Amino acid sequence: MSSDAPSVTSAGDLGYLRDDAALKVRNLTVSFRRGQKIFNAVSDVSFDLARGETLGLVGESGSGKTTIGRAILQLVPAHGADLGGAITYEDDDLATLSRAQMRLMRRRMQMIFQDPVSSFNPRRKVVDIVGEGLEIQGMPRDERRRRVDQALADVGLSRAMVEGRRPYQFSGGQCQRLAIARALALGPDMIVCDEPVASLDVSVQAHVINLLQDIRAARNLALIFISHDLAVVRNVSDRVAVLYMGRMVEIGRADDIYRAPAHPYTRRLLDAIPVPDPARRIPAGEGGAEPHSQLAPPSGCRFRLRCPRADALCAEVEPQLRPMAQGQYAACHHPLPELGQGNSSRPAALSTPA
Amino acid sequence: MTVPSDIHPLLAVENLSCAVPGPAGAMRILTDVSFTLPHATALGIVGESGAGKSMLVKTIMDIAPSRAAVTGAVRLDGTALQSLDTRTRRTTLGRRVGMVFQNPMTSLNPFVRVGRQVEEASRKHLGLDRRAAREKAIALLRAVGIPDAAECYHGFPHQFSGGMKQRIMIATALACDPELLIADEATTALDATVQKDILDLLQTLQQRRRMSMILVTHNLGVVAGRTDEVIVMYGGRLVEHAPTERLFASPRHRYTAALLSAMPRIDQPAHTRLATIPGQPPSLAHPEPGCPFAPRCPAAIDACRAAMPPMTVSADGRHRFACHVPLDAGISGDASVRQPEAANV
Amino acid sequence: MSTLEAHPVSAGEKPLAAPRRLRWPRLTLAEAFSFLFLLLLIAGAIFADRIPGLVRPNFPYGDFSRPPEWSINGLFGTDGLGRSIFSRILHGARATLTIVGIATLISLGFGLLLGMLAGYYRGIIERFVDLFANTVAALPPILVILALLTATGPSVTTMTLALGFLEIGTYARIAKGGVISQYDRDYILAARALGASDARILLREILPNLMPTLAALVPPLMAGLIITEGSLSFLGYGIAPPAPSWGGMIADSTDLLSRFPLLIFGPILTIVCTVFALNTVGDYLSRRIDRREKQL
Repeated sequence: MSSDAPSVTSAGDLGYLRDDAALKVRNLTVSFRRGQKIFNAVSDVSFDLARGETLGLVGESGSGKTTIGRAILQLVPAHGADLGGAITYEDDDLATLSRAQMRLMRRRMQMIFQDPVSSFNPRRKVVDIVGEGLEIQGMPRDERRRRVDQALADVGLSRAMVEGRRPYQFSGGQCQRLAIARALALGPDMIVCDEPVASLDVSVQAHVINLLQDIRAARNLALIFISHDLAVVRNVSDRVAVLYMGRMVEIGRADDIYRAPAHPYTRRLLDAIPVPDPARRIPAGEGGAEPHSQLAPPSGCRFRLRCPRADALCAEVEPQLRPMAQGQYAACHHPLPELGQGNSSRPAALSTPA
Repeated sequence: MTVPSDIHPLLAVENLSCAVPGPAGAMRILTDVSFTLPHATALGIVGESGAGKSMLVKTIMDIAPSRAAVTGAVRLDGTALQSLDTRTRRTTLGRRVGMVFQNPMTSLNPFVRVGRQVEEASRKHLGLDRRAAREKAIALLRAVGIPDAAECYHGFPHQFSGGMKQRIMIATALACDPELLIADEATTALDATVQKDILDLLQTLQQRRRMSMILVTHNLGVVAGRTDEVIVMYGGRLVEHAPTERLFASPRHRYTAALLSAMPRIDQPAHTRLATIPGQPPSLAHPEPGCPFAPRCPAAIDACRAAMPPMTVSADGRHRFACHVPLDAGISGDASVRQPEAANV
Repeated sequence: MSTLEAHPVSAGEKPLAAPRRLRWPRLTLAEAFSFLFLLLLIAGAIFADRIPGLVRPNFPYGDFSRPPEWSINGLFGTDGLGRSIFSRILHGARATLTIVGIATLISLGFGLLLGMLAGYYRGIIERFVDLFANTVAALPPILVILALLTATGPSVTTMTLALGFLEIGTYARIAKGGVISQYDRDYILAARALGASDARILLREILPNLMPTLAALVPPLMAGLIITEGSLSFLGYGIAPPAPSWGGMIADSTDLLSRFPLLIFGPILTIVCTVFALNTVGDYLSRRIDRREKQL
């Protein structure tokens, strides 16, 4: 079974990283102090992102995906948190930038948040909110106005529609467009999208996803797309990274991972997607154990207590990312074989059309 | 358990409407909803926010806000609930219908041991003594997959994870061996893998106990493999009601079809353009005449904007939809569906 | 940008509805009375010198200790020196409102500053502010100010500063709590992602969201200051006679209470009504916040 996976490689083998990438995250570690307790939100995560590429970060609550997004933009609060590792963007190490340099860098890296309504200051006018970044960046008034108009047009709105209004006067979908406009106004080449459609209805979600895709194509944007919804991630991502309890357990091309996940956790996530296909009469599952406490992760592999394939090795040695036969990298001692060999009960809905 | 009667469906909802006063006049949350639910059947109620799905089950459970004006009838096993006095109605519902809510964090009392919360209803409605209620509570906790049930009986809610809390909520809802279990977005707040476990549990319980279940959700995927029938709500109205396979294979209502195609699917390659539904959900405060979906519907004709389409029922009576220009029944659907009948009003 | 044209003015969405106005809660009778009373009191205090027919506060206008009568000067009667109690109340209001207003400005200003810094940066500043607020909260304000005024001599300035100082902790704690509750909101993160400086976030993003809460808390806290100031003046440590003050007038009339009980009526009524009105207005404002938060 697992014998056809490559034999153990050195712990430092990170062959999935590229030198020419725009964004490089290397050995990122974020821990939060809560009184005496230390809680590792992100442990030793490395990945990179090329220009114009979309990387999906998936995982459940507590996986560290949101923290990674914030750490990239240097938004992790200074008090109570420790950051390790390095984040470089176009060869600038973000940690070493001065405040003024970082402010300039923010023109190039932007963010969209989960709840569009709460990401707007409720007491400010929407036009000011969209232009806020430009004002902070010291853009002259005329230029600001022009750029706001352009950004609003890009998301299918116009100044006349938003002038004089405050956030509560817009629906969730409209607010998310405004949030995208706010990020676009600065003319970034990378945007971290933190669950941008999680709070939207299906019909509105489709609008926002299409809009993001169009803008990405038109502006050659690089996106980090953080989501717990694997179906949405499948639609938008070129590559996918799966996180579990602060660790990256699998990373690779979306096609590879969705066709043949190597890590048992990825498999479990894929099986949990509610697929709108009644032919797939879902077998009542075995009901596995729930996630372990993050304050005291288990020894070795963090997933082993929920993993059907775990053995003594998993308890002793924490698996490192290594290349899989299918093409992606996974951190597992006993990765799943390629499709067709195991778990054949429901491959149909998961396979990509050839 | 009462013996299921063959004469009456377990639940019959007849012309149920509900309006609540809002800042801009009355909001018509529900308009003229009718359906029946047979014994031992799983029903999904699907709709986007504002569709009225949550208010529908709240109205059935008689827990709609007191300022809501409700008309229509809800029959449980043939008994019209509105005809009962408040106390009898509450007792009947409490004993025969169990309900699980969206947020397990707020629906459990943080200061009461979970065992007490699980057994509360069985002591009140079934009149069990303390020992019997306790044994039953532990058995229920075990049945919903809580390890060390006897120990957890003494725990407090905060000691459990979100998924475990939701399992406890389910145990609480099952305390009186209900004939109907209503889960109102019961898995929405949970992580994907936990959501699957809870849905599996609900499905197993429904089949094993031969009870009926209503799964209320915004996610069509949740009801797909787990229900016998699905109701699609839009703008406070029931727009389509069909056996699950048939609804997914050949939806007749344009909204159902649009909703299905707007969902991203994992079997499509990356960057596939999603079908969208133009426009905004209808205003509940100022409903326009005609079909609520007409302003967003690509196939809408003048008749759609003029009058609400009557319910069309298929020949076998199992597929109902309210659309003037329905989609074809498709290859897998039965051809006889084309004969329109008057709605069962 | 041709690909973007797939979203023409939001794909068929109707033009947005007319801006929805936030609704203010309806005034109850008591609240309407309170607003009216405070408005009249403030206007009376400001224009006390210009009200036609109203005598100066220290002018011996009529007979000693006359009971109330239906005229502008005799509305609450005359005191033991024949001065118009109504005139003295309005002039006393001017002194009291000035003292309480300045003290509130002082405590509000410093309290906001300390509280916002404490809530935003936490750490050592927070611990210092907490310690300060808790220490000051433990002091009985009247005794502290009495001791201070005994040591330095009666002085309106000293009293005002002391009153202001003693409330700093209260406002600081409120502001700190407000900042902490705002800190994790996405719009703060969004502002930081746009490159906003800490000062900008504090002043432009957080402060406007603290204002409604503070606005609802200022009136009841001012009511407390009015009582403290009145007590000090009653004891003779606040506004020195013969300058009119509410506390001082109560003190004067207590001497004559057994023979002319009606003299105490005016100043007591004024204090009770003012404190009541301020608290009621505070309730109204907090009701307004609840309503607003629901609508936002």
